[in-house]
Amino acid sequence: MSKASLSMRPALQGYVLLAPALLVYLLFAVYPMIDVIRMSFASWNGLSAESRFVGIDNYRAVLTQDPVFWGALWNTLWWTALAVVIPNLISFGLALALNQNVPGRSSLRVVFYLPVIIASIAVATIWKWMYDPFFGLFNSLLTSWGLSDWIVDWLGDRKIALWSVFAAHVWQSVGFSMVLFLAGLQSVSLTLIEAARIDGAGRWAVFRHVTLPALTPTITIVFVLSLINSLKAFDIVYGMTGGGPAQSTQMLAMWAYTQSMQLGDFGRGAAISVILLLITLAVVVPYMRWMFRNPEDAR
Amino acid sequence: MSLLSQAFRPVGSNRVDPMLVALWLALVVLALVWITPFIFIVFTALKSSDAVMNTSAFALPTEPDFGNFVSAWQRGNFSTTAFNGVIITFIKVPLGLFISAMAAYALAKVPMRFSKVFLALCVFGTMLPFQVMLAPIFKQVNAFGLINTYPGIILPYLAFGVPYQVFILHGFFAAVPKELSEAARIDGASHFTIFRRIFLPVSLPVLSALLILDFVATWNEFAMALVILQDPKMWTLPLGLMNFQSQFQSNYGELNAAIIMTVLPAAIVYLMFQRYFVAGLTTGAVKE
Repeated sequence: MSKASLSMRPALQGYVLLAPALLVYLLFAVYPMIDVIRMSFASWNGLSAESRFVGIDNYRAVLTQDPVFWGALWNTLWWTALAVVIPNLISFGLALALNQNVPGRSSLRVVFYLPVIIASIAVATIWKWMYDPFFGLFNSLLTSWGLSDWIVDWLGDRKIALWSVFAAHVWQSVGFSMVLFLAGLQSVSLTLIEAARIDGAGRWAVFRHVTLPALTPTITIVFVLSLINSLKAFDIVYGMTGGGPAQSTQMLAMWAYTQSMQLGDFGRGAAISVILLLITLAVVVPYMRWMFRNPEDAR
Repeated sequence: MSLLSQAFRPVGSNRVDPMLVALWLALVVLALVWITPFIFIVFTALKSSDAVMNTSAFALPTEPDFGNFVSAWQRGNFSTTAFNGVIITFIKVPLGLFISAMAAYALAKVPMRFSKVFLALCVFGTMLPFQVMLAPIFKQVNAFGLINTYPGIILPYLAFGVPYQVFILHGFFAAVPKELSEAARIDGASHFTIFRRIFLPVSLPVLSALLILDFVATWNEFAMALVILQDPKMWTLPLGLMNFQSQFQSNYGELNAAIIMTVLPAAIVYLMFQRYFVAGLTTGAVKE
């Protein structure tokens, strides 16, 4: 290195190393998050140079006049509650099973993880095609099994469309939590398990008193990650239904996007974003406090 | 059979456990269910439209037809979208890793005021979902006049990728013994030299894991690209596929060929570098 850097104070060298990452993060992640709060109190169409301060009008409009908002909020919460429980239970079961001495473990792991690395928009396209009312996989199978009465329009019927989209999400996301659980299971002490066995503990007792306690940090992490991932659900819904039919699969993140980028009402879109950010922060902040208190658990 | 002769025996036991056999059967059945969509799209992609409509979904394509791939490539503008994907991914991923590693080194090894604050800010960023605030990101990129440009998409990608990578690398650097850097400090080396000569080389395994993970994430990203890259000439593969899906959705063979061509690069990278995925995910266990 040059003489200049040699004579630079160590702390200054540190700031130089930190600067590029910090700058890009502040400019394109932190600033938009602050800006969205400001935008939510203004009226702006995305084109004009001027935006007008309107106080809480956007929030009032979103909460009282927007016919879609409450449905989208309900769908987001429904989706989140289900997405935290159902795929993770499957992942947990898979991880426990794949942690046993069964043949072909690594190939099985690959199969369950493969959907995770596929673009969500491709997952959406694959499932949309499988749900095709005429030639799709599901209705073809039902026909060939003689269950033609069960045939439905999976994505066109507003009563079941959200379930259909959710099924695709389960297929895609199970492998992710499975890998985290498998990693967590590596930390369960084998000697402890054997000791418990020798002491006469059955399968259930070993699971309940040895495996489960050792997995608590992993379970917390998986829980929080799937919670956050559900709140930002976007690609898969956008690709499969675009929020339809009749807004029955609309989600908050997508509705914020639609209001701003498609209907040109950036104020209302920002208000929805802020509401969703607040919900997200209600999860993130307690989690961060837990993480800083137990740093070794979080790793 | 020698491989199988050890299977189905629980830890510390020599007898085959019938429970494990049942469990294994359940796993295999579920794996078949999981793989079915892939089989279905490959079959459809190899069929002509006639064959799709007149044969069962699971009928083998009797006369495999690769024409769907050729016509989907042209119709879907894959040469443009693949090119854009390559440019964006190949610039964003190494650049992001490099600036993240620099920052992580500074936070872990250089005594600075506020480094705790920066680290907290960084952990916060790992959980900040950009899907929630696409419009303000659009506004910010627009303020720089970068809509429909490569820097316009790369900068926000960097901004939302940096926190996770800094977080992981910080954990790794912090665990590197002090002696390694202090000896070099005493010899008069600057932090820049120590970072480049000592810390970058020792972190290669972690860097490779993050590289693979980030490659797939960047290649697949959709929502941000949807907002920033509005000109079809600038589209990436996921945007191209979305457009293909809405325009030619009844052209089943081509649609499925388009899906396969979109998905294949990430799938190949995954199958080649599997172990890096697990390492990259589980060293930090944050981010999707």
